[in-house]
Amino acid sequence: MKLIQPNLRAHSSEHTSVWPLRWPGRGHWLGFLRRATLYALLWLIVVEGDLSSLWIGVPAVLVATTASTALRSPATMILHELFRFVPFFLIHSLMGGVDVAWRAVHPRMPIAPHLVEYPFQLPPGLPRVFMANTVSLLPGTLSADICAHFLKVHVLTDRRDTTSELRKLEQRVAALFGVVLPEGALE
Amino acid sequence: MTPSDYIAVPLLVSGVMFFLAGSAGLLRFPDVYTRLHALTKSDNVGLGLIVAGLVVEADSWFVVGKLLFIWLLVLLAGASVANLITKGAMQRGTRMWTR
Repeated sequence: MKLIQPNLRAHSSEHTSVWPLRWPGRGHWLGFLRRATLYALLWLIVVEGDLSSLWIGVPAVLVATTASTALRSPATMILHELFRFVPFFLIHSLMGGVDVAWRAVHPRMPIAPHLVEYPFQLPPGLPRVFMANTVSLLPGTLSADICAHFLKVHVLTDRRDTTSELRKLEQRVAALFGVVLPEGALE
Repeated sequence: MTPSDYIAVPLLVSGVMFFLAGSAGLLRFPDVYTRLHALTKSDNVGLGLIVAGLVVEADSWFVVGKLLFIWLLVLLAGASVANLITKGAMQRGTRMWTR
């Protein structure tokens, strides 16, 4: 699976910032500073605020910031869209867990698995990988394979319209990455 | 029991229920694909509920942050590994169970 695709790089080349988050603002040093702040915060969380650990923490944060700047994806999430995506994800992944738990303990196990091939509208790279991972945590669907032009999805039951649900999810992922899909925005 | 226990205990108990249901699915479901459905989704919810229960009881914001970070990492690892196993099974031609 190739994460970095040339057409995506062209799409977001004007943004240089913290991955996976993007704040408005430009410039390499600013992006570096944001990443460093994020990793410093993460370090403090991991050591539970113990400042005597900083002689390891500061070099670790610098190395992590350098590495993640070098490896950053050309596709970046938009921060305020993330705040819209998280509640949607929490509610639907809870529904997904309840749904499969109920089917697993039900005496007759009401499942009817089949495969669906969903044609991607998202650009290749991080947005597609992100969508595939999200699909696996939502009710009744499991990503089977990311192919060149479509996502192969294993569906646990045949009682709902999987394709239209995947389309809605794809539009949400597109909004999260600031991508405009051919079929238009989320209605 | 302190007041926070009355919130934390139901969350922890329901979290364990989801882990139990996920394990039931792992044992009862007929093939690798359906078993992954049970594992990824109900373990994600089970761990989420247990983390929520522990957040209620946490002493400091650092512990809250650490618990949420652990959940995020497990979420990412669980979904990615499920995709890799499914892809591997498909490539090896593992038959899909159908009703």
